[in-house]
Amino acid sequence: MGNEAIAWGLLKEGVSFATSYPGTPASEILEAVIKFNEEYKLGIFAQWCINEKVAFELALAHSWLGGRSSVSMKQVGLNVALDALMSAAYTGVKGGFLIISADDPGPYSSQTEQDSRFLAMFAKIPVFDPSSPKEAMDMIKEALELSERYQLPVMLRPTSWVCHARQGILLEEELKPTSKKLSLEKDLCHWAALPRRRYVLHKELNEKLRSIQKENGFRKISSNGAKKAVVSSGFPFALLMDVLKSLNLEGSLDIYKVDRPFPLSPLLNEELSAYEEILVLEETYPVIELQIPYREKIRGRLDGTVPSQGELRPENILEALHLLLKDLPFEKIQGPKEGAPPRLCAGCPHRAAFWAIKKAFPQGLFPSDIGCYTLGLQMGAVDAFLCMGAGVSLAEGFYIALKNAREKIPPICATVGDSTFFHACIPALIDAVNKKAAFVLVILDNFTTAMTGGQPTPSNPTGGLIKVEIEEVIKGCGVKFIKVVDPFDFSETVKSLKEAHTFCEDKETPAVVISRRLCPLFEKASSTKVLLFKEEKCTGCALCISESKCPALEEGEERPIINRELCRSCGLCAFICPHNALELVEV
Amino acid sequence: MELKVLIAGKGGEGIIFMTRILAEGAFSLGIPVISSEIHGMAQRGGSVISQVKLGKFYSPFIPYGKADFLIATSKEEGERNQIYLKPDGILVVNSPESLPFHINASSLAQKLDHPKGANLILLGFAINKMGLKEGPFLEAIDKHSPSSVREKNKKAFLCGFFISKEENIKPLE
Repeated sequence: MGNEAIAWGLLKEGVSFATSYPGTPASEILEAVIKFNEEYKLGIFAQWCINEKVAFELALAHSWLGGRSSVSMKQVGLNVALDALMSAAYTGVKGGFLIISADDPGPYSSQTEQDSRFLAMFAKIPVFDPSSPKEAMDMIKEALELSERYQLPVMLRPTSWVCHARQGILLEEELKPTSKKLSLEKDLCHWAALPRRRYVLHKELNEKLRSIQKENGFRKISSNGAKKAVVSSGFPFALLMDVLKSLNLEGSLDIYKVDRPFPLSPLLNEELSAYEEILVLEETYPVIELQIPYREKIRGRLDGTVPSQGELRPENILEALHLLLKDLPFEKIQGPKEGAPPRLCAGCPHRAAFWAIKKAFPQGLFPSDIGCYTLGLQMGAVDAFLCMGAGVSLAEGFYIALKNAREKIPPICATVGDSTFFHACIPALIDAVNKKAAFVLVILDNFTTAMTGGQPTPSNPTGGLIKVEIEEVIKGCGVKFIKVVDPFDFSETVKSLKEAHTFCEDKETPAVVISRRLCPLFEKASSTKVLLFKEEKCTGCALCISESKCPALEEGEERPIINRELCRSCGLCAFICPHNALELVEV
Repeated sequence: MELKVLIAGKGGEGIIFMTRILAEGAFSLGIPVISSEIHGMAQRGGSVISQVKLGKFYSPFIPYGKADFLIATSKEEGERNQIYLKPDGILVVNSPESLPFHINASSLAQKLDHPKGANLILLGFAINKMGLKEGPFLEAIDKHSPSSVREKNKKAFLCGFFISKEENIKPLE
């Protein structure tokens, strides 16, 4: 897998400090680093951090001491670490420092399809754009060397279909522990530059960029003396090459492959000046396109030759080539119809919590957060989500806004996951206590970062790390109502939610309910209970389906059908059924 | 050889596992492979596809109308993704209905007392239709299965593979 190739590349190049916060499509990078670290007994530091900003700063400190470091995250994670990135571009680094920010064109599993290369440009750091797992692995060597040569953070920007592509790669050597020593030489000129010295650092940065520009960062793939050229980078380059091959057009265009989209080499622009027309194929924003000066000759995202949103498919490349070459046959094909949407898994404790929230507050307002629980939308128990941590601040904002306007305030009940709580909710919760915002916060604690494959959280750490209790943190934030419930104790959960709401209205303060149960994806023991279906009692009202939205219940002609493969005997449907047609019994 | 294979199903059915076995097995046979798989939010029970390209390719994406094989875990997912298949491409589907290249993998998996093995029965069935040998794929299954289901997984794969083989021997029509 691309992410494993990246991990291998990092370790092969002697990275001895790797941090991350999980997020699709980047999660498997650190997972693989941890796996190889154990397998080859490398003894490096490889850990999940509370969020991307902390992960970034930890890795930067290691680099300042002279060691090679990497920090990996998804594109929106880089937004969280952006403050650190902007400043680190000025301060510079010592040991090679690689930021891996994985983009999600589509998007498949993100709130935006933003282009991390723009953030590299914004921070004025070089960025590499691999088109395949193999290339991602190979680029790491050059990226780390560049970082050390210019003492600058460098970015590697893979996209989903590089991260989650599998490719056969022959590995030439085994991984070996690195013997590099760190040195504590305080470089105050860079580490502790006051504002009036920052412009000097900015000047240094600009000079570094000017020198880097002189290093090519692009390759001419095919040279046919054609009057039209295609400039491409990243995954669209791979699509382009396959499309050209399938059309036997490999020789009819000049093709440039850009490995380093920023800073773009002036040499490339010089070469491009000779062409009549230039097509730029890149994902997801026009980063290369904007750096080419010949506006009237360029076709790409800005003139609509390439769509401005959504991932690129072979059909988009074909259409762009058709617009460029004119005589190419082209026919628009409709893609497949939309398939089944994702749902909370059968046996998911979040489903029970959402059901209870709807029961307790039928007219409620439900801000939520980023994680599996955005899928609570289908149960009508999620009304809004924005970005990591916003579940709490949106709840606070809604409450204060309505109160200030003297409007009627519905019960406000926010949901956030355990990992998300630690990631970005703590400052928001303190602010809510501070500002007397009355809402119920439900922390859906399933002991893991479930959406991204089950990475550890501060309250459920692995490998001898110290456990930080959610309750202790909440208490420390100044919350006066804290109750822990098992969401599968359905009536108790509804009761606790109502109690929390009464408390928060009376005292004008947030109240927290922790809904605690292990994610079934990571549950080893199978249930000792089984769901009995007494068909004779079923009236076919299908309340079990409409209220639970459980994938283990399918609509039958007269009665629901239980999918025994999926059912985890959580008992929610049995609790919902008003006719006692479903019953949970011990085996 | 060059072969473009699309695998379609629902998140949680083992699509990623099938993709991995197909890709690794083919790579062991000395065929260059590039494949893609869906992780994250889209995985949670929703419709997902994986794409596997055997041969010299740069990207794992299959253009509409160009797949040689479409392996679908249900008739619905097969029909929905038919657009990917080339006109003479083969749709291998897990279905009790009598379709051109179908196998009732779910029912066979029940008989093998390994309900989760349906995807491997389907994969074994498809791999034989591709004209590939079973050995490297069995090795890949052996390597990546948890020990508790390792033997059952191999048995499921072989079950599909040999049913497919017997069919091949039968005279056509």
